Amino acid sequence: MSESGIPRISALSGHYSTGKAGEINADGSVGVMLENVEGLVLYQVAGWAETMDKVGAQIAKAAKAVSAPGPGQVVTGKKGVLLRVEPMKWWLTDVAAPAISPAHGTTLDLSHSRTRIRIRGSHAGEFLNRFLPLDLRERAFPRGSVASSAIHHVGVTLWCADGHYDMFVPRGFALFVWEGLVDVARQFGLEIV
Amino acid sequence: MKSRRLEQGGRIDRTKSIGFAWDGKNLTGYQGDTLASALMASGQQVLGRSFKYHRPRGIMSAGVEESGALVTLGKGSRAEPNIKATTQELFEGLEACGQNAWPSVRHDLGALNSLFSRFFAAGFYYKTFMGPKALSGRGTGFWMLCEKIIRQAAGMGKASREPDPDCYDHAHAHCDVLVVGGGPAGLSAATVAARAGLDVLLVEQDFELGGDLLNQPESADQQRKKLIAEAQGQGVRAMTRTTAFGLYDHGVVGLVERVSDHLPGINQHLPRQRFWIVRSSHIILATGAIERQIAFGNNDRPGVMTASAGRAYLNRFGILPGARIVIATNNDSTYQTATELEDAGAVVSLIDARENVRSELIGLLGGSNISLRIRAAPLSVKGMQCIKALEYTTATSQGWEHGGVENCDLLLVSGGWSPVVNLLSHLGYKPIWNREQACFVAPETDIPVCMAGSAAAIWNHEDCLISGQSAGGGVAKLLGCSVRQKKAPKAGGWGGPIMPMYEVAVKGRRLKSLVDPQHDVTTDDIRLAHREGFVSVEHLKRYTTLGMATDGGKVGNVIGLALMAEALGKDIPDVGTTTFRPPYTPVSIGTLRGRNVGEHFRPLRRTPMHDWNLEHGATMTMAGLWHRPWYFARQDEGIEQAYIREAAMVRETVGLCDVTSLGKIAIQGPDATEFLNRVYTNPFARLPIGKARYGIMLRDDGMVMDDGTAWRFSETEYFMTTTTAHAAKVMTWLEELLQTRWQDLKVHVTSVSEQWAGCAVAGPKSREVLMASLENRDMLSNENLPFMGVMEMQMGEGIPCRIARISFSGELAYEVYVPSDYGAAMMELLWEQAKVAGGCLYGLEALGALRIEKGHVTGAELDGRVTIEDAGLGKMASTNKSYIGKSLKNRPELVREDRPRLVGIKPSDRSKTFHAGAILCRHDQVSGMGEGWVTAVTHSPALGHWIGLGFIAGGHEQWKERKAIVADPLRREDVEVEIVSPHMFDPKGERMHV
Repeated sequence: MSESGIPRISALSGHYSTGKAGEINADGSVGVMLENVEGLVLYQVAGWAETMDKVGAQIAKAAKAVSAPGPGQVVTGKKGVLLRVEPMKWWLTDVAAPAISPAHGTTLDLSHSRTRIRIRGSHAGEFLNRFLPLDLRERAFPRGSVASSAIHHVGVTLWCADGHYDMFVPRGFALFVWEGLVDVARQFGLEIV
Repeated sequence: MKSRRLEQGGRIDRTKSIGFAWDGKNLTGYQGDTLASALMASGQQVLGRSFKYHRPRGIMSAGVEESGALVTLGKGSRAEPNIKATTQELFEGLEACGQNAWPSVRHDLGALNSLFSRFFAAGFYYKTFMGPKALSGRGTGFWMLCEKIIRQAAGMGKASREPDPDCYDHAHAHCDVLVVGGGPAGLSAATVAARAGLDVLLVEQDFELGGDLLNQPESADQQRKKLIAEAQGQGVRAMTRTTAFGLYDHGVVGLVERVSDHLPGINQHLPRQRFWIVRSSHIILATGAIERQIAFGNNDRPGVMTASAGRAYLNRFGILPGARIVIATNNDSTYQTATELEDAGAVVSLIDARENVRSELIGLLGGSNISLRIRAAPLSVKGMQCIKALEYTTATSQGWEHGGVENCDLLLVSGGWSPVVNLLSHLGYKPIWNREQACFVAPETDIPVCMAGSAAAIWNHEDCLISGQSAGGGVAKLLGCSVRQKKAPKAGGWGGPIMPMYEVAVKGRRLKSLVDPQHDVTTDDIRLAHREGFVSVEHLKRYTTLGMATDGGKVGNVIGLALMAEALGKDIPDVGTTTFRPPYTPVSIGTLRGRNVGEHFRPLRRTPMHDWNLEHGATMTMAGLWHRPWYFARQDEGIEQAYIREAAMVRETVGLCDVTSLGKIAIQGPDATEFLNRVYTNPFARLPIGKARYGIMLRDDGMVMDDGTAWRFSETEYFMTTTTAHAAKVMTWLEELLQTRWQDLKVHVTSVSEQWAGCAVAGPKSREVLMASLENRDMLSNENLPFMGVMEMQMGEGIPCRIARISFSGELAYEVYVPSDYGAAMMELLWEQAKVAGGCLYGLEALGALRIEKGHVTGAELDGRVTIEDAGLGKMASTNKSYIGKSLKNRPELVREDRPRLVGIKPSDRSKTFHAGAILCRHDQVSGMGEGWVTAVTHSPALGHWIGLGFIAGGHEQWKERKAIVADPLRREDVEVEIVSPHMFDPKGERMHV
């Protein structure tokens, strides 16, 4: 799908301002930083039981990654990131999906369906566990993990990336979730970047 | 009780004075005090009044079992009743007051109730207010007459009726081992488990770690610090001020963390409390034990407390709780306390019910002035608002008889100890009676939960440490760690045996002996229950309310069971025990609801045009979780004028409506066509690329599930729309079909409801408006995009879009979808052109009016009781193919001719209206369930009067010659109506084909 030349309007647009709030430490540091990562490029690529290897190889090539990840895992390539979100489905971010023959699988543009919220900071994991029942301890959810979960019944996808978490929230619920995140983050000291 | 703060000693910080208010009086305490200890140090004795009899109550314990010092904390919207002063940490500015008393707990007029206490025994309400009115004058009317007075006179604290201004958090945590209890056993268990490499979380309800070590003389503090340091050194995560209130299956534990209840002022960023759900692989319950009372006369007077509480106030809070103290016991645990109190300056005497006391214990008293009286027990306390003397009994071969009177201002009682097995009981495990230790203990279980320390009825301090180490090691082994497990000590640990004693009474003496002080349940109440046949433990509990107060039976259950056992001539284990249920201690409702309140009570879903709609005057309404425009009022318009104008303008010119909330599902794969052909009732096998088709889905049972459209974009790709209401249900249904029934089909379904923002462009001028908004205007001609045609193209500014020529309004109309981030831009483009064409924005109300005129169904009609024939869509049920629901829709009951069918409804008197939800009756029989019902009503701008849709037996053909009545019993309005075809406007559909 082609993109328009006009700017995309995020679900959070106009509903926040950057800066610090809440229990800011004496040295000015905060425990949680939130970022609305705009301009999401997100494709879903799915295969059939007998074509998963082929499709995996194709998307790994598109992302310039070593290989496609297994369930619950993420592989970061030179051009894009691959997240295995379901047994037979990957998400491909930052790069368009390659053409896949229907005999091998399907591709679907979901770039406008999710709002990507980046969470980082010394208390990011603890903060996320205010909402998510996921076991985010290092040994259970190390860097390069992805999981589906829910915040107040809203399905979200969480990726533990290098030094931060990225959460993909359905666009229609994004502002609702964002308001909750901001509210809770203040107790850790919050910076919206 | 002449309590006083000692010059030194205790764990309080005397350099940090804290001001607080009690019943409007300004007092001071110290950092480290509880409200109870600060009040005791200030000489306050009467802190509460009892539930029914308004008996004066003082501090009875130093922990969560407190049944006397129940107070109301805070005021206004922050007033919280029934707070145990013994667990409330003191903070600057704390305000507390007595409750259930007027004018104050010290001078309470309600104490007059006590004079009539013999009439207020167990079963008072049943006997007084229940029964046939004709015979007794009792009954509901009498109860309603008395209820207000009774509720004023009895009860506990009153909660604020204002909204709770505080916020509460929810949180999740995971660990390998959860240790409940931060005493010696808990700390040692946590250390051993953590040393083995496990991730250990330790929770402690107190604001300090140490458990019983906190109540011991200062010399024990070194060991406390060492245990804490060892645990911390091994990486144990410790949470204080945190109560494990409930244990659930699979290692799930509910915690309440009191985050800011101890902080002065209001921290706008911190929650008041936090509700944790912890998931653990193994649980160690080192929850300690609670000292029991004994039932004797006036055992609830201010100045009667447990012996361990006396020790806690002395050693932890630096208070000498009395000047002249009697300690009454039946076990070894009080002798050390006696010496410590005497060392602190009190005159102490011990009365021990046992016949023999070990020489070691007598030796412990050697060199002191403590008098010891054996084979003696407390009979009755003298004094009203404070103790003046104790009348005691001595044991003879005939039982107890009057022994004498001893002056005192404090009576400490130890009737034995009850291990805290409540949490294990939450999982359904019944505690078992240990005759030797005279207490209930946890049974053996096959789940990963174990007990340690005094929670396992281990009384000796050293054994508690070993018990904790053993539990920690055992858990580590179970979780695959290589450790040596110490042997667990057996229950017990006292040198001499306990003498089971639950009540002290002398024949012929009438005493007010409390079993459950919070609910004013006496020994007489237990016996009354027995006499009246309520002998089962569960019946006893409900008849007397024993154990149903805020302490959950911690104080009185064992005594109550023992008395019932005695009355039945049975042993305690034969009587049974009640099941402890969560919460272990009370939990604020606010904590359970967390932040899901107000606008965040349920998820709020906004369309990409939400802000745009608001900027253009939308009044919003909820449609499921969606916020949708309801109507766009112009100056001085109310909803009625606005929606009628909007609907009329759509018929006359053009209207724009945000339809993003419709469900949208991508159906992809080589078998997508076959899949749709099986799901919809009508044929999809030959749907050409570039065309859409309206479809009906049935459930397995033949009832209509949903309707919608499917747009074909390629051989292998469809775009399905569903109703807003059933979007999630349809998505789940399709997934289920693919994953369970048709695994052979190569189809993927994905919700794309969030990917696309949708706008309906409807009305005679819709083509002209849409055309002007496209980059290539020619694409939209009737030839290029005929009725039910679909196309992908670009709007102005290069916005990619999908357009289908379909109509819900009955007008020439299009549904336009663009990627969501361009939703507002799409509206801007369309609105610019619509304004030129004299069009309008319209909301849900006008949408409803238009579809009712046309007889189009929605969730109001497709309510799960309707067949495809009922909905008037029977022609869409193919006879040439198989599809979900085909067989069962033909059940005899579902094909009866007299089933209610979709019809249009018009009032005979066109000036009249009627309401959705009313029933449709025969003209001559306005009664019962009627012949049908009304699903939707609107004022029709096209017809100039009110119309409705509904279902009526046989359908409109059966009612051609007859009038019906819309009967509305609730509003007491009956309206005569004509039953007509549901297609009340443009029945041939000519307007949408132009």
